Amino acid sequence: MLFELDSDQQLWRTTIRDVLAKECPPALVRSVADQGADPGPLWRTFAGLGWTELTETAEAVELAILLEELGRATDPTPYLATMTWFTPLAPGVLSDGQTGTAVLEGVTAHRDPHGDEGWILDGTGHHVLDGDRADWFAVVTDAGVFTVPATEATVHRENVFDPLLHVADVSFWQVRVGEESRTRADVGLARDIALTGLALTMVGACRRVLDLTLDHVRTREQFGVPIGSFQAVKHKAVDMHVAIERATALAYFAALTIAEQDPRRATAAAMAKAAAGECTTVVFENGFQLFGGMGFTWENDLQFALKRALSGELLLGGADVHRARVTDALLDARAAAPAAGTTSEERHAAAV
Amino acid sequence: MQLRFDDDVEAFRAEFVAFLDANLPGVEETTERPTSTAHMPAWARRWQRLQFDNGWLLPGNPPEYGGRNATLLQQFVHLEELGKRHIYHSFNPQGLGIIAASLLTFGTEEQKRRWAVPILKAEITAALGMSEPGAGSDLAGLRTRAVLDGDHFVVNGQKIWTSGAHDADILLTFVRTDPDAPKHRGISVLVIPTDLPGITRRPFGSIIGADDLDFNEVFFDDVRVPAENLIGQLNKGWHVANGSLGHERTMLWLGFADRLDELVADVRPATPLERDRYATLAMDAQALRLLGSAALARAARGEEDVASISVLKLFGSEAVRTASRHALLAQGSAGLARDGHSRPFEHMNLDWFFASWFDRYAHSFSGTIAGGTSEIQRTIVAERVLGLPRV
Repeated sequence: MLFELDSDQQLWRTTIRDVLAKECPPALVRSVADQGADPGPLWRTFAGLGWTELTETAEAVELAILLEELGRATDPTPYLATMTWFTPLAPGVLSDGQTGTAVLEGVTAHRDPHGDEGWILDGTGHHVLDGDRADWFAVVTDAGVFTVPATEATVHRENVFDPLLHVADVSFWQVRVGEESRTRADVGLARDIALTGLALTMVGACRRVLDLTLDHVRTREQFGVPIGSFQAVKHKAVDMHVAIERATALAYFAALTIAEQDPRRATAAAMAKAAAGECTTVVFENGFQLFGGMGFTWENDLQFALKRALSGELLLGGADVHRARVTDALLDARAAAPAAGTTSEERHAAAV
Repeated sequence: MQLRFDDDVEAFRAEFVAFLDANLPGVEETTERPTSTAHMPAWARRWQRLQFDNGWLLPGNPPEYGGRNATLLQQFVHLEELGKRHIYHSFNPQGLGIIAASLLTFGTEEQKRRWAVPILKAEITAALGMSEPGAGSDLAGLRTRAVLDGDHFVVNGQKIWTSGAHDADILLTFVRTDPDAPKHRGISVLVIPTDLPGITRRPFGSIIGADDLDFNEVFFDDVRVPAENLIGQLNKGWHVANGSLGHERTMLWLGFADRLDELVADVRPATPLERDRYATLAMDAQALRLLGSAALARAARGEEDVASISVLKLFGSEAVRTASRHALLAQGSAGLARDGHSRPFEHMNLDWFFASWFDRYAHSFSGTIAGGTSEIQRTIVAERVLGLPRV
């Protein structure tokens, strides 16, 4: 295996960074948080660049590169939800510039007793990413996935610790939908894309925390020297770096298994989300700590990246949840493998 | 990014696998076990010689040095296949990986013929004399003196750790030849045959047991070493040291990845906590192989990437140590056993890889201490990758 971005992918990353430096600078992010500035123009910029067209699973690595950079820039638009929550469940539904998200739990579907082939949706999905500003919902039920215009739902934005994050309760009260709105989406694949997307966002945010922390410890002086010259500080920073490298590798591997339709995909996605959560723990604590009192202030932009990473850990199951899934998958595969004449590596390869 | 190697690399792998299938020694041949990193039983010597003769010992070398001019990716799948089959590369690993490699890089043609080729053919074994009681992480502070006296160096001083020295035929020894120069600029390298008068080798036990003898103290008392045994230029030994430790470092992480894969296979998690730790182990194993293959791809393009090797060593060695601790703890009081195997006997592998759980845990510290401690690696990464200021 050659686990490295090729030259086209590296160029793509450079392009994204250039665009985001110009279109999504820290000042813009700050204005969204403090003045409630509208991220709509930025969203239309992304759509104009064709970034919303990265919907084929074969392009999963290219999407991954973009999501990591958006996490690093603490993107204030509903890009993540639209591209990794909605579209994998409902490809081809959105028209230009529209947004979407997914209601993954809490809603049931019943046959409409009065209408031919119709369905009635009932229930509330809690903590739905961008639920208050999506144009469409993909609603996952036991009877399948339904695509529903946002106008059919009642939404309530929750007040959360991250000023950039949109999370909402989304309720359907006896909403009638036609059979044609039921999709044949691969829910398992969609789940893995959402987990991988969130992991990449978290990894990007963690990189931003490390970048800011390194700038701080290189310039902040105490005892007459930059605090970054102290080993206690250096070693904390390196632990952040190693955790980020580990999580990045597992996140891109998950993206690669999506692109290549590799059977290791589900385990890889669980590993990606778990590692991103573990990375967040190290980076949040060491980054916050190394910033000293400055990290405790509202004025410091460190908060946006810290919160982006931590909110990612709280969504779609934390590291412990996904570690449990990883072990379940590995031990199931071990139990299924013939015991005799199998090398440990073969068992391992079959499982991972 | 790609999940598979190109066809030429896979063809190379298949050829090597066929060689292994046809030539690997049988279990019955290997009853005499190696007792140190420079002790090679006759079967181990025959096996290494066979690999040398067929160009499979170090495939990246030219044929006269046991290879076939293989590319870096081919060399990688060669090591990958050895690891997968639990075949230890050489039972004189420092001889093959560091000493012969240094002689081939820095030695004269005569020195290569005299020492490098016999090491590669397993006719002689070698040990590495770097560390001293006062020079560990601060290796450049070494004080063993060598004074030129006519056509000989006269060596006085002491080395320590010197794995396998009591079984080795030669020592690649780092000595101070200019005590007045800045410490990095007064070091030279000598090949010192262990049968010269004035050398005392004293093996000492490890934490595993008083009879686990690999570490040595080596004392030099007016040892007269021919001047032609100088490797590289006088007082340029630091250059050789960097080169020596650099050899094979591109793929050093593979050993940690193999240890992690063994643990993935061996551990039987029962409690919720053990199951949680098991996932971390499997993720570490996967992540290390991914990060290693990224470093490999960079190296294959010829990029020097010393610092990312430090990241791999730090991450890999600490992951092995943590997982080894968890594996031991999961045993409860059964983990107290000194003898016994924690995994099936593997006749071509190092014995401690399948020894008791305590032995495996104790040995995991060789990864975090030897070859630059984790603390030194963190400082290297902080300064060279993260750009933090030196003191």
